[in-house]
Amino acid sequence: MQRHFPRHLDSLSPLYEFTEQIMAASDVAAGVRFPVHLAMEELFVNMVRYNPQVDTDIEVRVTVPDGGTVTVSLVDVGGVEFDVTKQRPVDVDAPLAERTPGGLGIHLIQNLVDTLRYEYQDGRGEVIFTKGSGTENV
Amino acid sequence: MFEIEYGDSGEVICRGRLDAAQCTTAETFMDGLEGASTLDFNELEYISSAGLGILLKTQKRLAGSGAGLKIINVNNHIYDVFRYSGFHAIFDIHAKE
Repeated sequence: MQRHFPRHLDSLSPLYEFTEQIMAASDVAAGVRFPVHLAMEELFVNMVRYNPQVDTDIEVRVTVPDGGTVTVSLVDVGGVEFDVTKQRPVDVDAPLAERTPGGLGIHLIQNLVDTLRYEYQDGRGEVIFTKGSGTENV
Repeated sequence: MFEIEYGDSGEVICRGRLDAAQCTTAETFMDGLEGASTLDFNELEYISSAGLGILLKTQKRLAGSGAGLKIINVNNHIYDVFRYSGFHAIFDIHAKE
C-alpha cells in the first residue's frame, strides 16, 4: 500500500496510523511494529529536516507479504543525497558529560531493522528497510 | 497524542507517543523541572530519538546541580531503545513489572 505525505512533522501522526493499519491487518507482532514505526519516523524526519527547500510530498510504501516480513520504502524527490546505511558512530558508552543530543536516530535504525538499503539517482532518494517477525529484539 | 503532567505524588506522568512532532510540548515541560525528578512511563507507548534528546538534555542540566531523572514503569520496547542508546548507564531506569 502506498501513500504520499506532506513534508512536515504534522505528517507523523497520519504516517503512524497508515503504517499501523497495514501491520494490524496482517497481524504483525508488537515487537516488530515498534521498530518499524521508529525507523519510519527517523527516516521521515531526516527527509523533512535536511531538505527544507523541497516542497514535494514524501512517498511511503508499506507491504507485508504473507504476514511475515514488513517492507517499507520512503521516496524523497528533490532532496540531497544522504546515505543512511553509512556508519555514523555514536559512542553509546560515553559518560553523561560527554553525551550530546543527536545522532541516535541513524544508530537506532541501523540496529533495529533487518536490512537497510539506500539508492540515489538524479535527485531521487529511496530508502528501503525490512523488519521480520523472527527478529523481535525491540 | 502525547500528554505530560504532574501526578498526585509529584511524579511526572507521560502518556501516549513521544515523537518528533510532540517534542515542543515535552521540552517546555521538562525545562521547568528542578532537582531530582521521577518520570512515570507506565502509559508512554513510544519514544523516538527526538524524545531521547530531550531526556538527555534534561539529565545533563539536572546533573549540574547533582540531581537527575528516575524513569519508572518503562515498557520493554522503550527499554530496549534505552539499551541501544546506552541510556541504561546514564539514567536510573526501571522496567515495567
